[in-house]
Amino acid sequence: MTMKSEKDIQKTLEARHLGEALPPVFVDDMLMSLKYYIDEDEAHLWIKDHAVCKTCSGNGCLYFCPVGVYTMSEEGKIQVSYQSCIECGSCRIRCEKDNIGWKNPRGGFGVAYKFG
Amino acid sequence: MPEMEKKDQEKLSFDVIVVGAGLAGGTAALMAARAGLNVALIERGQTPGGKNYFGGTVYTHAMEEIFPDFWTRMPPLERPATEAGYWFLSETGLTRIMVGGGELSRTPADAYIGLMAKFANWWITQAQAEGVFLIPKTLVVDFIRDSAGRIIGVKTDRPEGDVYAPVTIICEGVNNLLTQKAGLIDHDVKPERVALVVKQLISLPTETINARFGLPDAEHGLAVSVMGDISLGLTGLGFIYTGKDNVSIGVGVDLDVLDNHHVRPYDLMQHFLKHPQIAPLIAGGQMLEYGGHLIPEGGWSQMPKLYADGVLVAGDAAAMVNALHWEGTNMAIIAGKMAGEAAVEAHKRKDFSAGSLKVYEDKLKDTFILKDLKQYRNFSKFLINHEDFMSVYPTFLNEALGKFFSGFGKPKREVYKNILGSLTKRKPLLKAAGDILAFGRSILGR
Repeated sequence: MTMKSEKDIQKTLEARHLGEALPPVFVDDMLMSLKYYIDEDEAHLWIKDHAVCKTCSGNGCLYFCPVGVYTMSEEGKIQVSYQSCIECGSCRIRCEKDNIGWKNPRGGFGVAYKFG
Repeated sequence: MPEMEKKDQEKLSFDVIVVGAGLAGGTAALMAARAGLNVALIERGQTPGGKNYFGGTVYTHAMEEIFPDFWTRMPPLERPATEAGYWFLSETGLTRIMVGGGELSRTPADAYIGLMAKFANWWITQAQAEGVFLIPKTLVVDFIRDSAGRIIGVKTDRPEGDVYAPVTIICEGVNNLLTQKAGLIDHDVKPERVALVVKQLISLPTETINARFGLPDAEHGLAVSVMGDISLGLTGLGFIYTGKDNVSIGVGVDLDVLDNHHVRPYDLMQHFLKHPQIAPLIAGGQMLEYGGHLIPEGGWSQMPKLYADGVLVAGDAAAMVNALHWEGTNMAIIAGKMAGEAAVEAHKRKDFSAGSLKVYEDKLKDTFILKDLKQYRNFSKFLINHEDFMSVYPTFLNEALGKFFSGFGKPKREVYKNILGSLTKRKPLLKAAGDILAFGRSILGR
């Protein structure tokens, strides 16, 4: 792994404000359009170790997840609403701490697109 | 070992297992069934297509290669793509470079706009009609291997859910967990090599779509890639596809770029949908469905090995996407076909070793799939290294044309100087020339 220079880090921090320039969208409104078969017995997403999230500089999962599965509680703990997951895989691939457990929902469960 | 023999009689066996009932998997299963083999097509969703989300087109050449009588089968497609091209957005402006008529007015058209959950579902019913045995609501979690480590079947999440076959074709899609487990690739998908695409499907009356997009009737359709202001200067692309009574509209951005900038994909999509040139096109529409999907745009360098003992891989799982030309569905179909054919040939030879299944790769080498993926191997790297390519030039294009077609009554030398200035204030000329050259090299494969 290459170390990031001071300048790169500064650049990253500045870049991170870009998303804040956009008016926020209430994602739950969009999820109303989706059909899910929710697995009440088994979560297919989970945080492997909550202590590791505290060491994460970006908490990118709060942003890039297209359905807002990840939120932060008042105590600063990452919460996972696996029920709204559309199984895209972004969090598994991108979590910079490799701290998100990810598997496909059990057969028959999860999102069921009508149109696609 | 008598105990083993008893087990052998009870176990669920097929000639071929295909994992994933999308276009690649459905086609692979179909080709094997057509040759008389017993094929199990295992799908984790409630129904085939239920996990598919895309905005885009399917291609006549591929569909007709599988079904010569394709058009008499009443496929559930939306509209032919009779107009295609690029829209370039600045903050308020829009420049369109579109082509219609000519090559795009053939009947049937070369490309059709579709909705993938519906279309893949239909595709699989065609395969079932030719003998493919569909096992839905079943997740494949791992492989069964013999004592030599060769893959001889799959483990599913059903009770006593082991299924055996001498050859398994993996068509699991972009989240290639099984491809990794099969040892065909030694790493997970890389975040800088996938685009996260989000889309809204918006319902509008057919006549409204025709009027707003300048289409004479529902037998004409629009396929557009949109660049510029929509992605806030990030490497990203918007898209618009007109359906019969719906519009697919959304945006795709490299996953690591979204993360680096803390941009929520649905916020970005809303920014695009509210653009003054875009909003009127979809005004009054009802959202039918929202969704998202990853597109494996890494191409050549991110492809897994395509075969090993007892196993093949096709479609998104094998990164078979050409981002520049919007191709993916046709690669899935043709690669699926060739994987199915390779399984048939392996059965004829009764040899399921890697050496026997290599015929799959040999076949692919002769097609546009491996030729193009190789030619475009540096394209995704180009976009990573030229993050501003999609923001600087679309804005410049709008400003240049805007200046050219306004400001009447000024000396034209001043206008040209102004136009040049609107480029050079963003990019030194040499740098711009370098960008164009690098872009050209990346698509010509030099």
